[in-house]
Amino acid sequence: MLEATGLMVFYENMLALNNIDIRCEANQIVGVFGANSAGKSTLMYTLSGIMHDIQKKEQMAGGERITVMGRIDYKGQNISSLKPSQRAKRGIILCPERRRIFKESSVLENLRIGGYLASPAQAKKTLQYVFEIFPALEKIKKRMGGFLSGGEQQMLAIGRALMAQPKILLLDEPLLGLSPLMQATLIKATREIRDEMNIAIIVTEQYARPVFPIVDYGFILENGAAVMEGIREELMNNPDVRSAYFGVEET
Amino acid sequence: MIKDQRRKERIDRGIKVRSDGIYAMMSWRELTYLVIPRLVLIIGMLILPLVLPGMYWQRVITITCIYALLAISFDFLAHFVGLVCLGGAFFVGTGGYLTAILNTSLGLPPLLTIPLATLLGASLCTLLLLPCLPLRGVFFAIVSLMYPLFAMRVIEALDILGGTDGIIGIDSFANRWVEQYMVIGITLLFLFGVRRLVNMDIGLVFRGVKDNDQAIRASGMNITIFKAIAVFIAAAMGCMSGACLVHIYMWSGISQFALDFSILPIAATVIGGGGTLVGPLIGCLILVPISELLRDFGTLRIVFYSLILVGFIVFRSEGVMVYGQRKYHQFERWTRI
Repeated sequence: MLEATGLMVFYENMLALNNIDIRCEANQIVGVFGANSAGKSTLMYTLSGIMHDIQKKEQMAGGERITVMGRIDYKGQNISSLKPSQRAKRGIILCPERRRIFKESSVLENLRIGGYLASPAQAKKTLQYVFEIFPALEKIKKRMGGFLSGGEQQMLAIGRALMAQPKILLLDEPLLGLSPLMQATLIKATREIRDEMNIAIIVTEQYARPVFPIVDYGFILENGAAVMEGIREELMNNPDVRSAYFGVEET
Repeated sequence: MIKDQRRKERIDRGIKVRSDGIYAMMSWRELTYLVIPRLVLIIGMLILPLVLPGMYWQRVITITCIYALLAISFDFLAHFVGLVCLGGAFFVGTGGYLTAILNTSLGLPPLLTIPLATLLGASLCTLLLLPCLPLRGVFFAIVSLMYPLFAMRVIEALDILGGTDGIIGIDSFANRWVEQYMVIGITLLFLFGVRRLVNMDIGLVFRGVKDNDQAIRASGMNITIFKAIAVFIAAAMGCMSGACLVHIYMWSGISQFALDFSILPIAATVIGGGGTLVGPLIGCLILVPISELLRDFGTLRIVFYSLILVGFIVFRSEGVMVYGQRKYHQFERWTRI
């Protein structure tokens, strides 16, 4: 469904993504794991097209020159030159790192903004669905986004992304700074979303353990390069992966 | 597929890297590399009055320097302390009126009135702006924009300080050479002084206030005090330019609170490149003479002027100086990936 080949991103002369091939089939959950500075967020920005915006902004301000190379194919079409808004229209929706919810809008308004691209009927249906999978949101729908707890904000961010009717949802570190219980809730919700909306999901995370059970296919990034990939069982049984991303020390 | 792709890369020049540390002192080549840009600016500014034809253009250079002082103060406040201050005209007016009073009422000579008005004016401005210092961003900008308008209307309505006629009969400088070299000297002094300041410890705190004032507060520093110090420095520059201006025109009036003194420095900062401190001076050297040249077009000059500004902001918002610095320190080449 989504396939990136030979993705390279340079921040000035620093190589952030080194010749990465990544793909995601329909109805699949793909995990991308890596430490800080491995290039996870850069990958997400590049896939969603936000990188074009960052590139332009830096160019205008005379900052770093960002070079993006490689090819991204989505449903057989090359979308590497499309703007983020055009990609969103085609169903590639990013749920950004650190949530980035609209702090001065209420929960309901946040979700409504997310549903800008959807038809009113669709939006209504999805709104109900969002409240169904995240019942906690319905109780606080009048509250300002800025006053929500971390977990509620993350639910809201995912809900907002869902409102845009994704075909492929990019979740960038959805578990950042959340309690284990909240992490489990979100992971369960992610799987439900995939099963019920029939969409593909790419999720990045540093600590693989909580996400791993729901992942169909995984990539391991290290310093901008994809060092390993495979289906869940393959990765799970690899001793290097186990020690690096599960915290399991093999003796 | 990516075999034949090429990428343009920017590399620091070898000499830039070599002259980064103290070892630059060991070779003339590296020393020259460091000193030449500064020397070009200083010598260029110093010989400008000598090479320009006639008194008119010499006066333009003086006015340029006055605007440059204001622009440097704006750049300092906006890009190093995070206070976008649109009250440049307030500083000019305060300095100007204080000079006029000191000169006409107390009979002090320009050599005394300028430093006195600078210190008094800066204290007064800081004191008046003190209540607004907790404000940030656009709120501070709006409030600081109100100050010059407020002062102008108060003087007009209460008919104090000469009312709409202003204060006349102020001493001029001894001659035009004193006038020019004094203003140019002050500008260069403040330029390099502020550059030094922002690299000192207090400069680090200033930048910290800009980036994250909560973290600065958490480090046990009172940000209002630091903001007040920064405003004092910026206001001193503004008041000094106002004081010089009054002695040049031999007149002090409410037009010193005019919006020009707030807006043109900002435009110059945008064109020159914000956050470089030299940029605003370069911006003024471009903008003020252009606005004089366009005087022939009458009111149409505002249109040209705005077009130039819009062009710069849309196509080169990094500014002349940032671009120049990059070209000086780095070279570009194509590399194969």
